[in-house]
Amino acid sequence: MSYLLPHLHSGWAVDQAILAEEERLVIIRFGHDWDETCMQMDEVLAAVAETIKNFAVIYLVDITEVPDFNTMYELYDPSTVMFFFRNKHIMIDLGTGNNNKINWALKDKQEFIDIVETVYRGARKGRGLVIAPKDYSTKYRY
Amino acid sequence: MANLADSFLADLDELSDNEGYPEEDNAEAAGRDDDEDDDMPDLESLNYDDLDSVSKLQKTQRYNDIMQKVENALQKGTDFSNQGSILEEDPEYQLIVDCNALSVDIENEIIIIHNFIRDKYRLKFPELESLVHHPIDYARVVKKIGNEMDLTLVDLEGLLPSAIIMVVSVTASTTSGKPLSEDNLEKTTEACDRALTLDASKKKVLDFVESRMGYIAPNLSAIVGSAVASKLMGTAGGLGALAKMPACNVQLLGAKRKNLAGFSTATSQFRVGYLEQTEVFQSTPPPLRTRACRLIAAKSTLAARIDSIRGDPTGKAGRNLLEEIRKKIEKWQEPPPAKLPKPLPVPDSEPKKKRGGRRLRKMKERYAQTDMMKLANRMQFGIPEESSLGDGLGEGYGMLGQAGSGKLRVSAGQSKLAAKVAKKFKEKSYGSSGATSGLTSSLAFTPVQGIELSNPQVQGNLLGGGTQSTYFSETGTFSKIRRTQ
Repeated sequence: MSYLLPHLHSGWAVDQAILAEEERLVIIRFGHDWDETCMQMDEVLAAVAETIKNFAVIYLVDITEVPDFNTMYELYDPSTVMFFFRNKHIMIDLGTGNNNKINWALKDKQEFIDIVETVYRGARKGRGLVIAPKDYSTKYRY
Repeated sequence: MANLADSFLADLDELSDNEGYPEEDNAEAAGRDDDEDDDMPDLESLNYDDLDSVSKLQKTQRYNDIMQKVENALQKGTDFSNQGSILEEDPEYQLIVDCNALSVDIENEIIIIHNFIRDKYRLKFPELESLVHHPIDYARVVKKIGNEMDLTLVDLEGLLPSAIIMVVSVTASTTSGKPLSEDNLEKTTEACDRALTLDASKKKVLDFVESRMGYIAPNLSAIVGSAVASKLMGTAGGLGALAKMPACNVQLLGAKRKNLAGFSTATSQFRVGYLEQTEVFQSTPPPLRTRACRLIAAKSTLAARIDSIRGDPTGKAGRNLLEEIRKKIEKWQEPPPAKLPKPLPVPDSEPKKKRGGRRLRKMKERYAQTDMMKLANRMQFGIPEESSLGDGLGEGYGMLGQAGSGKLRVSAGQSKLAAKVAKKFKEKSYGSSGATSGLTSSLAFTPVQGIELSNPQVQGNLLGGGTQSTYFSETGTFSKIRRTQ
């Protein structure tokens, strides 16, 4: 379902997308449209984009087409979702140890909406790091 | 011999009908009394068999005059005379009103002749009347078949649809009818000719009225067509009467009530009047026809009112109303708009109900975390905590019970709220207010010291003695200090 979401095709376009949005949270998914993990993540993003359009906007970036941010943000996973608010990267403590991104396919729509709402509330208060409403550590997997 | 006698008697009957003298009537009655026993059945049948006694319209002066005028008007062609501004004063308008009334009379006359033909022809072909319902079609078929028994020799092509022709042919081969007598056949043929002549006259009258509809009622004709417009005007009794009529009555003009002979009307089909024959109504889907009929009746009434005052002779207003009708019917057939998902509101966008201040702080203090929970939430470094199930399972107790006494109970600390409450309690209980009556004493009894009398002079001595005994005493001297040699 990646064809339902807007794509950014250059580093300049990504910078402008993060800069231009003043009121809303900018969510960028780095990866490839043909990747299986990105396909699952894009299903959730496309289903949710209309619901959260009042406080968040979603863009897709191909990391082969736009390699400018690969080293900066360590984009080595199949799918990477990052949050930006007013030209500032918002970190989120999901319990995985990596506070910079969501680097797996989040399959629940409501969980993603809750994360976006939490990030938006914290970002509006000026916080650079917010705590996710759910713990995604490996404690519950074994 | 019998035929000749019957013809003579018929001639006598015709003669008696034509003459209107009372003496002749009396003589005729006397004659009947004399021949009552012999000729009564024949006379009755002869009177019933006579077509002229049944159908009289074609011999009236009014019919001939109107038909003559219509002939002249049709030959003259479409000559729109705008000399008179008032519509009712135009002689052609009066002719149109007469034509409308005449067409109704012609219709009734055709029905009467149809009943006559049916009664005559039932002896030969009883099933034909149930196969062919329309009076004019029935007359044509009867005239074509005549007295022929083998229907394969009769060509009915062009009179009826092919399916009905086949049914009529098959039915004729098994009919129980008998050939008609010569005079019966002649009367039947004459009746058919008269019906066809009346039908042609009616068509001529309607053609004349329709050709004048563009001049008499241009806006009404634009909406419902010339044919329906002429029928509406004929039924209402003129354009002025139609304009005064409410729209709900116009809707029912020409509606025929079905005779269900005692059956329920719950399942009967929705019946409309002449408006059912309009092109707009027929092109509307069946579920919307009830609403379409009401809409067309309303706009038609408006158009008739415009026409009655000659408001728009060009018919442009009628065409605008027709376009409006089409747009409304088109709008009814559109599906409702699709429901869009509602996006979530922006988080924390609404203002808070509470603000701050002393009252809110008191509420928060009342629901604050207790000291016991604070101790349970803390961990001391290097010392394992106790738990409800032992060995770190269940609820951890943290620093609770670590003081050495082994008990989990915590002595309640003095909070600001409790101290304030206690202070207020003391003031209320023991202090005497300023408003006292004359019967109370100023002494206050406390649980500590009870009642105690005091000496007022002791205080005075203390004040004075304290100062004079050291520095300002009258008996005091200067201090002497010895040398240390």
